[in-house]
Amino acid sequence: MAFLRRVLPVVALLGAGHRLAAQGVRASEYQVKAVFLFNFAQFVDWPAEAFPAPDTPLVICVLGNDPFGDALDQTVRDERLGGRPLQVQRYHSVDEIKTCHILFINRSEGARPEEILAGLKQRPILTVSDADGFAQRGGMIRFVTDRNRIRLQLNLAATQAAHLTISSKLLRVAEIVTRNGS
Amino acid sequence: MAGVPAKAPRLLTLGLVFALVGTPGFAQQPDTAAQALKRMSIEQLMTLEVTSVSKRPERLGQTASAIQVITQDDIRGSGASSLPEALRLASNLQVAQLDSRQWAISARGFNSTSANKLLVLIDGRTVYTPLFSGVFWDVQEVPLADIDRIEVISGPGATLWGANAVNGVINVITKDAKDTPGLLLSGGGGTELPGFGTARYGGALGARARYRIYGSRFARDPSVLPSGQDAPDDWHLGQGGFRLDWDASTVSRVTLQGDLYDGRIDQLSPGDIAVSGGNVVAKWGRTISETSDLTAQLYYDRTHRNIPGTFGEDLDMYDVELQHQARLGARHDLVWGLGYRLMNDNVANTTALAFLPAHVARQWFTGFVQDEIALVPNRLHVALGTKVEHNNYTGFEIQPSGRVNWTVSPSATLWAAVSRAVRTPSRIDREFFVPGQPPYFLAGGPGFHSEEELAYELGYRHQHGSFALSAATFYSRYHGLRSLEQVNPPAATPIVIGNGQDGESYGAELSAAYWLTPRWRVRAGYTELRVHIWPNPGSTDTSRGLTESQTPDHQLFVHSSVDLPAHVRLDAGLRAVGKIARRQVPSYEELNARLSWQPTARLDLSIIGQNLLNPRHVEFGAPGPTRREIQRGVYGLLEWRF
Repeated sequence: MAFLRRVLPVVALLGAGHRLAAQGVRASEYQVKAVFLFNFAQFVDWPAEAFPAPDTPLVICVLGNDPFGDALDQTVRDERLGGRPLQVQRYHSVDEIKTCHILFINRSEGARPEEILAGLKQRPILTVSDADGFAQRGGMIRFVTDRNRIRLQLNLAATQAAHLTISSKLLRVAEIVTRNGS
Repeated sequence: MAGVPAKAPRLLTLGLVFALVGTPGFAQQPDTAAQALKRMSIEQLMTLEVTSVSKRPERLGQTASAIQVITQDDIRGSGASSLPEALRLASNLQVAQLDSRQWAISARGFNSTSANKLLVLIDGRTVYTPLFSGVFWDVQEVPLADIDRIEVISGPGATLWGANAVNGVINVITKDAKDTPGLLLSGGGGTELPGFGTARYGGALGARARYRIYGSRFARDPSVLPSGQDAPDDWHLGQGGFRLDWDASTVSRVTLQGDLYDGRIDQLSPGDIAVSGGNVVAKWGRTISETSDLTAQLYYDRTHRNIPGTFGEDLDMYDVELQHQARLGARHDLVWGLGYRLMNDNVANTTALAFLPAHVARQWFTGFVQDEIALVPNRLHVALGTKVEHNNYTGFEIQPSGRVNWTVSPSATLWAAVSRAVRTPSRIDREFFVPGQPPYFLAGGPGFHSEEELAYELGYRHQHGSFALSAATFYSRYHGLRSLEQVNPPAATPIVIGNGQDGESYGAELSAAYWLTPRWRVRAGYTELRVHIWPNPGSTDTSRGLTESQTPDHQLFVHSSVDLPAHVRLDAGLRAVGKIARRQVPSYEELNARLSWQPTARLDLSIIGQNLLNPRHVEFGAPGPTRREIQRGVYGLLEWRF
């Protein structure tokens, strides 16, 4: 039994790997984006008030239509960061958002993000979207799909205004952008 | 986050990730690829190739075939100003420009302006004409900014894709309307492109439906004659269209799209060539269950072409298709479909040539089934299938294929395929007469039957981190290729069209892509190809396959794309194409380059140079004083998004 417990997951994982390989080693876009969001949780420091208790969960929210399917839930399932569990919440309007640390804004809503960002009132929430021009229009991180690869654009002024500290690991790989006109 | 130890990202390639999954401690969760992805560093995630959302894994018909994918970004970087120019990005295609508007495009040889062994689809709509089974490339002007990707498959794809997919399939897929929101204005001009512009607007209809509409117009300068004079082939075309994508429910989706165009082309003979047409396509898809999917498609396509002094044509096509896919048990993935097409073709004959009868209605019935069997799940898959087709000319045709895909390691895949494909007769094979009235020099092809192909393919695909390599080799035998047979030998005329030639082709297609750094990508493609054609015993054909073997032996492409600081990007594409010996087309090398600057997310300015190495060069056609030459060109492009 112990042997089986060890071996079966390995077989399952190999299976997953081969499925990727069968597709020319391509991963699904939103599966990779889900893992990026999970990585952001590790590379961003939130101000203390964002976590009232030591076991306050770290909440990743999706605003608007959810493009992840179950990829985001799968990614954070059973994960803990320094004792905090991770949770996924879904919202349809910015007014509904309660506890939230990372907010993914669907492409269609993110294309005109000013209203949503104003609704967040510079709460310490990392805003992420794949909409065109998101970071230039006041959002924090934009996924840019470029030649089938995902790049990151980061608006440093926006993260600073929300009192978020971005790890140098993330700063090193992201393209730093500023608001339009500067 | 304060006090949270970051998981140390490991510098592993994806391949190593899978090699390492056996280590104790990692084998905790019987989960999916998500676990493997989580082990990757951000840098690695950024070099990983992703597929856009597709609910189902790719079919074996694609993975076990010589497929190359041209992405929207590849098209942008290439500075292509038309669909045929964009197709130069697929190194498994032979693409040659004849003049300002005519192109010869084929895969695995047999190239000509009426190349007839390639299936070309735009969003599921067949765009080859049943007049000669080829494509009028001058009226396939899809707005390039709307293209999501172009899948180019060399080799037979008849089982899944359908008639005419003898030597390849070009599948142009445009973006979903939700991916084109807002207003886009683009325009520009240059030496060979006097002026062009496109306006596109995308919006929402309620919460579940998105649409876009567009209008575009362009003009093209003439090509030149060997004497250096302008050839009379300058032209202009206007086009407009729409696309609506509606998520009708959580399990069903609807797409409705259409285009209208109208253009004028100068020609040597008196009078302009007039082209116009339109199409409307409706698609409906429904997810029946986790393992079962149904799609239906309906389209109407009308084309009008009037070439004063040569011929005129009005063609109406009606097409309906139904496809069902179901997973059966753990090992079988079944896909089957039915189709019906009606063509109503009306030719205005002239004294120069005639299609007789002038007006015909033809019908095609098709059915196909393919089973993808997991012999060893995720390692060894086999796909067996066949297409059965009925047409008015030759009755039933059967096109079976077998494919096998072996995942040797997480980074390496071997595939092999054996396929039979046929090119069924088109109007030109049976009903074409020259001149337009008796006595005829060419008197149709009353006995012409389908051309047959048996193809053997073997391929290898390798991807390791930021490096990807693909190699496909092939050997094909052809029976009953089109020939010109003397009716009363040894009298040279009259002649009729027959099936008097056999042939073979073989070669290799290589392509590779490598990210030198996260911002610099290099791609290369090389194709080596041989075609031999010979007359059958009893044939009186004397052409020795002249019109079927206008293909260079080899071609090489290298593209470099680099993101520079300050939102500047530089792309360059070099192509070296071998000579076409039988037409005395010399080998040539050409360079395209594009420099673009994106000062804000809304504005993109670029300057594009095409065919920069020579003032002018020849790519195709019979030698002589009227063979057209393609000139060096430079143009500027401005794109503005709101």
